Amino acid sequence: MTATQLQGLSLALWGVMLLRASGDGRLELLLRGVFHPLVGAAGVVLLGWAALVLMTRRGLPARLQDWRLALASGLIALLLIGLPPNPSFADLAQRRPSDDTSESELAFVLPPAQRSLTDWVRLLRTQSDPRLSVGEPVRISGFVLPSSEGPPQLARLLVRCCLADATPVGLPVRWPASQPWPKADQWLQISGTMGLQHGPQGEELVVVPQRITPIPRPRRPLEP
Amino acid sequence: MLIKLNTAWALFQGLLIESLPFLLIGVLISALARWLAPDGRWLQRLPDHPLLGPLSGAALGFALPACECGNVPVARRLLVGGAPLGTALGFLFAAPVLNPIVIASTWAAFPDQPWLLLCRPLGAIVVALALSLLLALLPEAQLLQADVLAERRLNQPLSSVSLLERRSGLIGIETPTATSRQPSGPTSARPSLQEVLSHGSREFVELALLLVAGCLLAALVQTLLPRQWLLELGSGPTGSILALMLLSLVISVCSSVDAFLALSFAAQVTPGALLAFLLLGPVIDLKLAGLLGLLLRPRGLVLATAGAGVSVLLIGQWINLWRR
Repeated sequence: MTATQLQGLSLALWGVMLLRASGDGRLELLLRGVFHPLVGAAGVVLLGWAALVLMTRRGLPARLQDWRLALASGLIALLLIGLPPNPSFADLAQRRPSDDTSESELAFVLPPAQRSLTDWVRLLRTQSDPRLSVGEPVRISGFVLPSSEGPPQLARLLVRCCLADATPVGLPVRWPASQPWPKADQWLQISGTMGLQHGPQGEELVVVPQRITPIPRPRRPLEP
Repeated sequence: MLIKLNTAWALFQGLLIESLPFLLIGVLISALARWLAPDGRWLQRLPDHPLLGPLSGAALGFALPACECGNVPVARRLLVGGAPLGTALGFLFAAPVLNPIVIASTWAAFPDQPWLLLCRPLGAIVVALALSLLLALLPEAQLLQADVLAERRLNQPLSSVSLLERRSGLIGIETPTATSRQPSGPTSARPSLQEVLSHGSREFVELALLLVAGCLLAALVQTLLPRQWLLELGSGPTGSILALMLLSLVISVCSSVDAFLALSFAAQVTPGALLAFLLLGPVIDLKLAGLLGLLLRPRGLVLATAGAGVSVLLIGQWINLWRR
């Protein structure tokens, strides 16, 4: 086998890895949506490039270094294909400061029952008086994020680029006193209303659940 | 422990899969340049002036809308093509900021802070100038990796490089070990498409492996080190700059999106620290260390890291004085 053909095989493996990542849904867990087409396109280009290189008949015989490169590429690509990511969002979020992005004004506000957890957090940051939202219906989903200062919150991760820059946003929840607090990382859907409680910075809104339903991790767990 | 390993593995995949397309763009541009201008004569005509060289290199960034991962193969093409050292270094260090996508994303993230839109590109030019001048103090043989230097000598005119330095002809070239298995030589003949594809494929595979090492390191450090520690490390003006510089080294996100990330903690840090985060990351971070190691010897890499750190710290201090 020639060195060129080995390089072609390595390129093909990288291409397959990117296409596999595009197809098996893991990009939803790793990257913001705008990057997904770029990853797929890169996989296609790499496979096409590999095909052209593999068609080359001429070339020097492969040396030990070429085999090492190909072996390392193959091993990493196979590991990436065979071991899909399974991060703990709670573990990740506990090591990150909460997202501090505040918008001076929101251009569009959904009706309360249609707001996602992130919509609620953004709205509450622009609203100086929390009492304005008391009693409004809430229907949100997120993962359980333990807090060192009190009961766990229901949270989501916001991502600008990839999981490496994810930052959490969360809402306090008045968990039913009759049940233990839910486990970290558990995904829940909560229906209820907004209530008021006294927090460290004065009055703050709290989700008062009427129904708590465990759900599997959604297909698109990250929010922009 | 298993939870942490799972999280680190996911972070690694996120960083790597996001960076590979940009690396591919850089390698494709490098291969295209090799095919269109095999003798690299236009590269040798770029200004060799200590100031104009880095400035012209920085300006080339507008032609490559990619982040720092994609810039490394193009900078390598500039170096082996015989471009003046200052021009290639100016491109390497400033182009990740001076490109349309990065400027647009900075504006999108901070539309109400025009000073940042002005200071980020200006700061990148200052850092690139400082690093080009600093690294020019080292002889090329001590600065550049052996295979880069060998191929560069072949493409430099004989008036500037002796046969002995070129290590060609009767002296003989060393067996290349990296991306230059088939050295281009000082020939003006256009290589065949197959040669260009083969050369580019080897370059991509080698750079991808270095990127893997950098992403792995960045993912492990991010998993083990709580980010809040870094942000709390610096509450004073200087401390906040140092903390954010450290954060940019660790996080290793691409320059095309780092402004959106900075937005999430902009309210917690001083203006100088914010700019320092946006300036240092595109020049050096954990993910980039392996890629830069393909161009620069360890001494050059250490000097570049130290020079970037000092110049970014000084710029940050000046901004804190100006914007307080």
